[in-house]
Amino acid sequence: MLLHRRIYQFFIIYLLAVAFLFLIKYGLDLSDYVIPGPVDVWHTGTREFSRYFSDVMNTMMVAVIGQVISIFLALLVGITGRQATWIGSFTKAAAYNVQAYPIVALAPIIFILLGDGIISRLLIAAMICYFPLLLSVIGIMSEPISDIEHFYRVTGRMRWQLEVKIRAFENMNKLTTVVAGSATLAMAGTIVAEFIAANAGIGYSIRIALFQSDLAKILIALFLIGITLSVYQGLLEVIGYLIEKGWAAK
Amino acid sequence: MYLAAQGLALKYPNTANYVFKNLSFKLAEPGFNALFGPSGVGKTSLAKIITGEIHTFSGDIRSKGMQTCLYSYNLERLPGWSSVGKHLEKITPPARRSRRDELISVFGLEELIGKRFSRLSLGQQNRVNLLRYLLQDFHLLIMDESLANVDELTREKIILKIKDMYPEAYFLYISHNVVEVSKLCNEIIVLRGGLKEPSATVVPGRNFMTGQEMERAELEQTMLEIVNASS
Repeated sequence: MLLHRRIYQFFIIYLLAVAFLFLIKYGLDLSDYVIPGPVDVWHTGTREFSRYFSDVMNTMMVAVIGQVISIFLALLVGITGRQATWIGSFTKAAAYNVQAYPIVALAPIIFILLGDGIISRLLIAAMICYFPLLLSVIGIMSEPISDIEHFYRVTGRMRWQLEVKIRAFENMNKLTTVVAGSATLAMAGTIVAEFIAANAGIGYSIRIALFQSDLAKILIALFLIGITLSVYQGLLEVIGYLIEKGWAAK
Repeated sequence: MYLAAQGLALKYPNTANYVFKNLSFKLAEPGFNALFGPSGVGKTSLAKIITGEIHTFSGDIRSKGMQTCLYSYNLERLPGWSSVGKHLEKITPPARRSRRDELISVFGLEELIGKRFSRLSLGQQNRVNLLRYLLQDFHLLIMDESLANVDELTREKIILKIKDMYPEAYFLYISHNVVEVSKLCNEIIVLRGGLKEPSATVVPGRNFMTGQEMERAELEQTMLEIVNASS
């Protein structure tokens, strides 16, 4: 159900955006060079579909790995930062301050140091989705669920694992939303990296289409990015729902 | 073993009025006692001073032989990932398993043991919550409206059973029910608020036990004393 919703929501938005472009094209009588007609877009789609699909999968793979790394790091640091100790406060303050800097601006340095291979794309994707994830995880993990935790505290049964379990369980919806949302950031990070200097992925293909001023290719690329991301986010939400349901059914 | 307070005063930061001041009482013997008073006179605050959760008070609070003071309240929840029975299983020391089963029966919870906490009514939730505290080590258990939303007959049955099962422990039962505290409690600490001095008076209750006869006139007399003390 979540998956369907994501997909048809994307279709509605994409079709509205494309319809708007065609409205401008025919309203202002723009040439096919500026905005290609529906037939051109269709032909480009059939011609480029498999190559772009493979590019999107390449980008998606990097984004997913980057996101998984970010999630693990954010959980690790978020769990440390939840504590009301000096190390927890330091972690929180550092996270809030570092995330204020636009990480994407560091991308050129990464490319200079690490070259234009997969490692640079992965690192930029991970960095871009890591900080928003971290802030959410710290926020969730530092908020006590007093009405549940009280018993375990006063009876001396509270352990950090139990505390994390209680807070994660009580905020499973929020965590799922944050993780699904961070998929967009990871994808955006990877595409930005590919725009800047990489030699593979859909961002790289879009950059080439941009040099050729070929809007039809860009529209096809955007469609494939959108539909792939919608399916991925929908799957993440379904997984979150199943984890919550499975956890509650134990 | 005793619990005594002498000249306790509490004022929250940036407020002019005292929650209570010159509050003194002594509970010299174990038993089922009550903290009684209208809302806002500082019952929960006093409970938290006793358990050491509030430190910003003046005066003296002393206890002897009372190392473990537990505070339970009626809005607590159990985690939602497993059933009530599984939670109770986890938090029950092995030596108290038979006690747990006895309490489950007295509390009328047999049918609910396989259910999730969130599926229970408020009264059932409160009974489950209180039950798990009774399975822990404690010298003093503060029950802050722990039997709210439980019907009167069940409440009385539960309190009488607690009194029978824990003769060596101290209980402080926070309640707004004057009949209940008059009838079932040994001593009733009546809180009167920070504008009155003294802020608390101790009224002896009827301390009704299982199988005893209760004189209606005596009960009414105690109720009257409590009402007078709190006004």
